[in-house]
Amino acid sequence: MIDFYLAERTKNNTPFFDELATKDGTVFSHWQKLVESYDRMGNDKLNSRAKEVIQLLRDNGVTYNIYGDPNGMHRPWMLDPVPMVFSESDWDMIEKGLTQRAELLNQILIDIYGERKLISSGLIPIEMVYNHLGFLRQMDKVRIPGNHQLIAYSADLARGPNGKLWVLHDRTDAPSGAGYAFENRVAMTRVFPDMIRENHVQKITSYYQTLKNTLVNLAWQNKENPRIVVLSPGPGNETYFEHAYLSSFMGFTLALGEDLTVSDGYVWLKTIEGLEKVDVIVRRVDDVFCDPLELRMDSHLGVVGLMEAIRQKKVLVINPLGTRILENPGLMAFLPKLCREIMGEELILPSVATWWCGQEKELQYVLDNIQFLIIRQIYRNHVNKSIYGGNLSQQEIDELKKRIIAKPYLYVGQEMVNFSTTPSYINGNLEARNAVFRSYIVSDSENSSYHVMPGGLSRSSPDRGVFIVSNQSGGISKDTWVLGTSKRSAVEAKPVSLIKQVDNILPSRTGENLFWLGRYIERAIFLVRMLRIILKEYYETEDEFHMEDDITLVTLLQTLTSITATFPGFNHRKTLHNPEKELISLVNDQNKPGSLSQTLQFFLSNGYAVRDRLGLDTWRIMDNISEEWDFLKNQNNLNEINRSLDNLIVKLMAFHGLNFDNMTREPSWNILNIGRFLESSVKTCSILKSILTKRHDPEAERTLLEYLLMINESLVTYRYRYRSTLEVFGVLNLLLIDELNPKSVTYQIGRIDLHVANMPSNNNHYLNPIRKKLLETTTLVRLCEPHELSLAKNGKSRKELSKFLDNVIALLREASDMINQHYFSHIQSQYGFVTTKLPEI
Amino acid sequence: MRYKVNHTTKYIYQAQATLCHNIVFQSLGPFPYQHVEKYEYSIQPEPNFLVKRKDFFGNEFIYFAVQKSHKELIVKSDSEVTLEIPNWTQLDPSSTPPWENVKQWLESTEAPNETRQFYLESTHVKFIDGLREYTLQSFTPNRPIMEAMMDLNTRINTDFKFTPGFTDISTPLEDVFRYKKGVCQDFAHFGLACVRSVGLAGRYMSGYIETLPPPGKPKMVGADASHAWMALFIPEAGWVEFDATNNLLVSNQHIRVAYGRDFADIVPLKGIVYSGGGQKMVVTVDVNKVAE
Repeated sequence: MIDFYLAERTKNNTPFFDELATKDGTVFSHWQKLVESYDRMGNDKLNSRAKEVIQLLRDNGVTYNIYGDPNGMHRPWMLDPVPMVFSESDWDMIEKGLTQRAELLNQILIDIYGERKLISSGLIPIEMVYNHLGFLRQMDKVRIPGNHQLIAYSADLARGPNGKLWVLHDRTDAPSGAGYAFENRVAMTRVFPDMIRENHVQKITSYYQTLKNTLVNLAWQNKENPRIVVLSPGPGNETYFEHAYLSSFMGFTLALGEDLTVSDGYVWLKTIEGLEKVDVIVRRVDDVFCDPLELRMDSHLGVVGLMEAIRQKKVLVINPLGTRILENPGLMAFLPKLCREIMGEELILPSVATWWCGQEKELQYVLDNIQFLIIRQIYRNHVNKSIYGGNLSQQEIDELKKRIIAKPYLYVGQEMVNFSTTPSYINGNLEARNAVFRSYIVSDSENSSYHVMPGGLSRSSPDRGVFIVSNQSGGISKDTWVLGTSKRSAVEAKPVSLIKQVDNILPSRTGENLFWLGRYIERAIFLVRMLRIILKEYYETEDEFHMEDDITLVTLLQTLTSITATFPGFNHRKTLHNPEKELISLVNDQNKPGSLSQTLQFFLSNGYAVRDRLGLDTWRIMDNISEEWDFLKNQNNLNEINRSLDNLIVKLMAFHGLNFDNMTREPSWNILNIGRFLESSVKTCSILKSILTKRHDPEAERTLLEYLLMINESLVTYRYRYRSTLEVFGVLNLLLIDELNPKSVTYQIGRIDLHVANMPSNNNHYLNPIRKKLLETTTLVRLCEPHELSLAKNGKSRKELSKFLDNVIALLREASDMINQHYFSHIQSQYGFVTTKLPEI
Repeated sequence: MRYKVNHTTKYIYQAQATLCHNIVFQSLGPFPYQHVEKYEYSIQPEPNFLVKRKDFFGNEFIYFAVQKSHKELIVKSDSEVTLEIPNWTQLDPSSTPPWENVKQWLESTEAPNETRQFYLESTHVKFIDGLREYTLQSFTPNRPIMEAMMDLNTRINTDFKFTPGFTDISTPLEDVFRYKKGVCQDFAHFGLACVRSVGLAGRYMSGYIETLPPPGKPKMVGADASHAWMALFIPEAGWVEFDATNNLLVSNQHIRVAYGRDFADIVPLKGIVYSGGGQKMVVTVDVNKVAE
């Protein structure tokens, strides 16, 4: 299979450098062993391993989100089974070059927020810094301990046609992807263990350990055992998976801005047990969004008062706010000179050729060559995107030139580099694709040096000859192998056990998500069971043309309307006559409150929001449920729906089972179950009420009782326990007061109480108000007389039963409110801005 | 000239507020020709956390947080200040250097960063279309910088109509320019945009001015408000202040609180409050002459 690649390489005289072979087809020595492995493996085996890689990543739930695409959420992460490979000698140069560049950028950063001598001396033009939105004047003279103010740094590298490596971008604000790099390596190690061993692929774990050591070392407060949180913009963010993954993998707490609050100058995490101090924040929120009081007022991702907590040295934020000033392509044009001035040496890794338009000659060059250049603004955001001059019409070029001439200091022109090609596994072949490599560098505070991950995240374009390789535009990731026998990580990582693990605390918002996750899964299960039974009855009805006269079907349909609160629904005779449309919309209409589709959507969104709390296998089940949901959403055929419901119920039950097996018995487990049992007890009561209030003829009643028991999964238990025909009295016994039936309301309230009692804030000396309310509820239920309740005193309806069930439901709702109040009341996201109006004189 | 200034801001919330964080720029800064005799402030309810800090430009500000339930927030500043007549009032505008020379000097690294930063755009001071052309009518070739500025100041005063309520903080400069309406801050922002667009350095000034009562009538308490004007850097003379709203060169009636690139740098009071409902704000400023 390599022959094909080499043949293509020699045949197509592409202008690119190739990572694997020279133009005449000679394989580079560091690829030799790999090439042999691929040849031995052959096409079939590589194909099956490629599938294995994708399956593994899917199983691990590795996803990313695409902005602006409603179907772009939770896209599976794509990994090429063929890695990007660096030889030992190449890597020596890269490592030295990146270390030097990190030190250089760090010195520039210190100067910009310190004396600003580089600006007053003219080494860096004032326009390039003071006009950059990343220059946060609030951070002037604010330092973190140690020599390094830049802690985490990433550079994107590519190899030009002459084989030399170039830096394309510097990422200094909140560089992402290190979590994906780790996942990629995990998958590759599983699928290609032999190749990794034979080729002496360097391990990358030292990077993560160094990061953790540095965070612990730098903390201002609580140095013994600092509480570290990862501040994420939330589940909608492109790399939310990574935030969740890194948090659980590194032992940090995942938090959103609304989970944190500033009080007495400290940052606190709102947890179900009250406020907990936060010592270190690993920031994945862009700096200007971090504090709406002092930075961007329109931000809802930040923490009000965070700037002051930073100035108070009560919290360490990594990277420090303001580091984005270095994400400035204009700076690239000045780095060679700055390196000589600051470090007294030549810049090892050149940047891609850059012309900053704030200078006359450079401006002229950019204007004259605009169609061959990439035009960037010095500050990058969603609006200021890179512009490829070659893709513009004459009119667009004229408009762009006008904008550049008006404010030249905001623009740079950059050369379009022809990135090197590297083998990619595409459609069963090894094909040449252009690739970019993202490196990860972290400050090693113990040694006052920078540590470069011996590996990283490479991305290649899916199409031939295309240089846009971001994940947002469909790029495929590659693991990055650094070969060599020399021990590279000079830093001996602290064994993990030396760092005490912080208790796994539960933020209030996460608690609330878990509570609703429990409620929605249970709601979905009830709905699916009901729908299956209704469909069964629907297909078997004898009154095909007069469905509205089939008492059993009508009762079931009206119960469905009632428990989904989709009134008037089947209470309309017309809808009953032809129930199909309403039934289908109750399944597939995502915008119909109460529908199965919407219930699943809420279940999934709550699930994704707490994915760091759920096991890997559970993520997998959630992805399966998500697929089934995708199918149902677009399904209009009742037969297909019926089949899908059968699959769905198994998956939903698997979710329960996995959690039961895998979740540690800590607060998250308790909260999930409180939600779950609350939902099932309320639903059981509602269904009993809806089906049994009206009294029907004995035959219809028996059928209904049978269905009722099926919805509650208690038919077998009933037959076993009573060995008699179905009777209302027996059913009430079993579903209301049976202490041993896990489906009875008594049993379920007991479980709620147990889980509330197991919550950490619970005081065991006396009952808290929630448990008192539960005691009141369970007492009411346990003391009821099923025989009395089963009677229809006026012959038509069981008024006593209906009233009784209403009471129970009302009490359960009160308990639910109290649970909300008690555990989630720290959530306080509603706020307003006040600001002085314009003075008027 | 000695003045007493009382500045009170009162917020009334619809619902109980549980927490608020605020930043206050109200203490009178150290400026040439201004001696602060007294500065006191009081905040109700008593903040749980309060610190005084200096911003990037050297202005003092207060950060405070109220971490208990409250329905009202009152911030009061009491100051006394003596103002001198600045030397620049003695300056012969026609003897100042041609504005292009100043521009050239600012472009070079001979000028300090602290001055150079004020010829750049900022949040409210944008280089909008037509601005440069408007400015160049005053800043004609080789014209002495102060003379050109006096001319610009007068033109803004006559071309623009003082119209309270026409603009608010989010009104873009384009609208102010198009409709030629606004209040003091809009005129200050516009004047700054003009001078910066031709490469000169301009600062936004915030403070107070005594409103002179109509002849024979007593001065009304609370009739005053905070005020805004601009300063232009003129070599030898320093930051010379111009008030386009009143078409004058600042003398000893302008009490200076803080300076920045524009309003956004030195908002007198801003905050974030955690509360269920909306809020109402009442500001009273009282400036009294206590001695000549």
